[in-house]
Amino acid sequence: MSAATMSRQPGFANSSIGRALRSSWGARVTSYVAFVVAWQIVGASFFRVPTPWETLDFIWREVSGGDHGGVRPGQFWEHFSATVPRFAIGISVAFVIGVVVGLLIGSFSFVRALLSDVLLVFLALPAIIWAFLTVMWFGLGWEAPVYTVILSAAPFVAVNVAQGVRAVSPELRRMSDAFGVPRNRRIRSMLLPAITGYLFTGLRFAVIIGWNAVLLAEWFGAVDGVGWRARLWYDAARYKGFVGWAIIFIVFIFLLDGLVLSPLQRRAFRWRASPSSDLKAEVGAVDTESFTNTAIGL
Amino acid sequence: MWNEILEIVRGGSWADDFLISISKTFMGFMIALIVGVPVGYMMGRAGYWKAFFHDGVVGAGSIPGIVYAIIALVIFGIGFQGPILAVGLISMPFIALNVAEGLEGVDRDLLSMSTAFGRSDRQALRHILIPSIMPFAFAGVRLSFAIAWKVEALTEVFGSSNGVGFQIRFAFQGFSIAGVLAWTLMFIALLLLIERGLAIVERWLFRWRTWEQAA
Repeated sequence: MSAATMSRQPGFANSSIGRALRSSWGARVTSYVAFVVAWQIVGASFFRVPTPWETLDFIWREVSGGDHGGVRPGQFWEHFSATVPRFAIGISVAFVIGVVVGLLIGSFSFVRALLSDVLLVFLALPAIIWAFLTVMWFGLGWEAPVYTVILSAAPFVAVNVAQGVRAVSPELRRMSDAFGVPRNRRIRSMLLPAITGYLFTGLRFAVIIGWNAVLLAEWFGAVDGVGWRARLWYDAARYKGFVGWAIIFIVFIFLLDGLVLSPLQRRAFRWRASPSSDLKAEVGAVDTESFTNTAIGL
Repeated sequence: MWNEILEIVRGGSWADDFLISISKTFMGFMIALIVGVPVGYMMGRAGYWKAFFHDGVVGAGSIPGIVYAIIALVIFGIGFQGPILAVGLISMPFIALNVAEGLEGVDRDLLSMSTAFGRSDRQALRHILIPSIMPFAFAGVRLSFAIAWKVEALTEVFGSSNGVGFQIRFAFQGFSIAGVLAWTLMFIALLLLIERGLAIVERWLFRWRTWEQAA
C-alpha cells in the first residue's frame, strides 16, 4: 500500500498527530506545556506566585522600557549592561588563575600536597559567603561582584585543569622521556590534546558558577546591575518582578550554555570514546570520582 | 575569628541551628527521592519519558542557586518549608539521572529468567529492579549533598528565621567579618564531615554489591 492511498484513509490525521506527540520532539513540547500548566496551577493557588502571563507581561515591560503601572519604567538594558562587564572580567580572570593553578597542581606533586586541602575548602565555600565578605571588604560598587566571581569560579577551573593534566597517560610520559622528545613538542602533542576538553569543562563550570556569584553579589552589594534590580522588586514586594527576573537569569544562562558552551565542550571532547550515557555527558560531569567534580559551586 | 568560634561554641545554640539546617536538608532529600526515583525509573524504561524529562533534568544543573532561593521565597515566604523545597528541587535531577543510568545497567538475563520462571512484574520490581536502583539513588543523594547543603544555606540567608544560613546573614547584617567566617568554617567542616560519612554509609549499605568491583 502506497503512501498516497494511506493518506486518503480516515484516521490518518489522528494517527500522524498521535505519532508526532509520541516522538521525542512531541515529548519535549508536551513537557514545556505541562510546565506552564503546572505553573499556572501553582500561581492560582499561592497568592504570592504570579501566573505565567503576568510574568511574561512584566518581562516585556522591563525589556521594552514600558510602564510598570506608574512606579518607574523598565530598565532592563541599563542594568544588563552594568552586569555583563563585571561578569566577563570576573570569568576571564578566574579562568586564567584557575588554569595556572590547575597546571601547577597537575604537574608537581608537592604543589598538589600543598594546595589540595585549600582547594577543597574553596570548593566547599558557597558563593554567598564570598559575596558577604567582599561586600564588607570593598563596600558597595563594582568590586564585590567581580571579586566574588573570581573567588567562586577559579577553584572549579583549577580542579578540572589539574584533572586534565593527570589524565595524560604515564606510559606516554615515560616513553617521551626515553626517546628524548623536546618540551614544546610534548606540550603540543601530549599535554594540549589531553587537557583541551577539561579546559572547556572548566570554562563551562566557571560561567555557570560565576553567573550565580555575580547575581548574589549584586543583590547584596551593588547599586545597579541585574541582581540589584531583582532585589528592588523584592523589596517593593512586587513578586512578578522578582519572578520575572529569575526567568531572565535562567534564560540568559541557558542561551549561553546551549548555544556557546556545550557545543564547544562537545567539540573539544569529540576525539574521545563516547561515554556510557549521553545524559551524563551532556551534564558535563567528566569523572564522578568525588563530589568536587560534580558539585557546581552555588 | 577563633575567639568568635569559641564564643559560638560556648553559646551552645549553634547545635540547634545546625540541627535545624540538617533536618531541613534531610526532608528535602526525602522529597527528592520520592519524586526523583519514579522519574528516573520512567526515564530509564521508556524513550518517551526520557525525552519528556530530558530538558528539565539536564538544564537544572545550570540554573543559578539564587533562582531556587527566589522560588522558595515566593512560594512559601519566610518559613521552614522554603529550604526544604529548594533542596528537593536541586537534588531531584541528580537522583533521577543516576537512577535512569542505573536501570541501563540492570542484568537483562535476570529479568528474562524471572519472566521465564513465571515471576510476576511486581516480584521482578521488588527483587531485581529496586535493589539495582537503590545504590544509584543513594549515589545521587551523595553527589548532590554538597550542592544541596549550599542551596539550603542560601535559601535560609534569603528567607528564614533560624538555621546556619540565617546566622550567617545575621552576622553579615551586624557587619561582623569574624562572625561570617566563624559560621562559614563550621559550615564547611560539617559539609566535609557529612560527605565523608555518606561515603562510608554508602559502602556499608551496599557491601553486598561486591560482584560489581569483581567484574
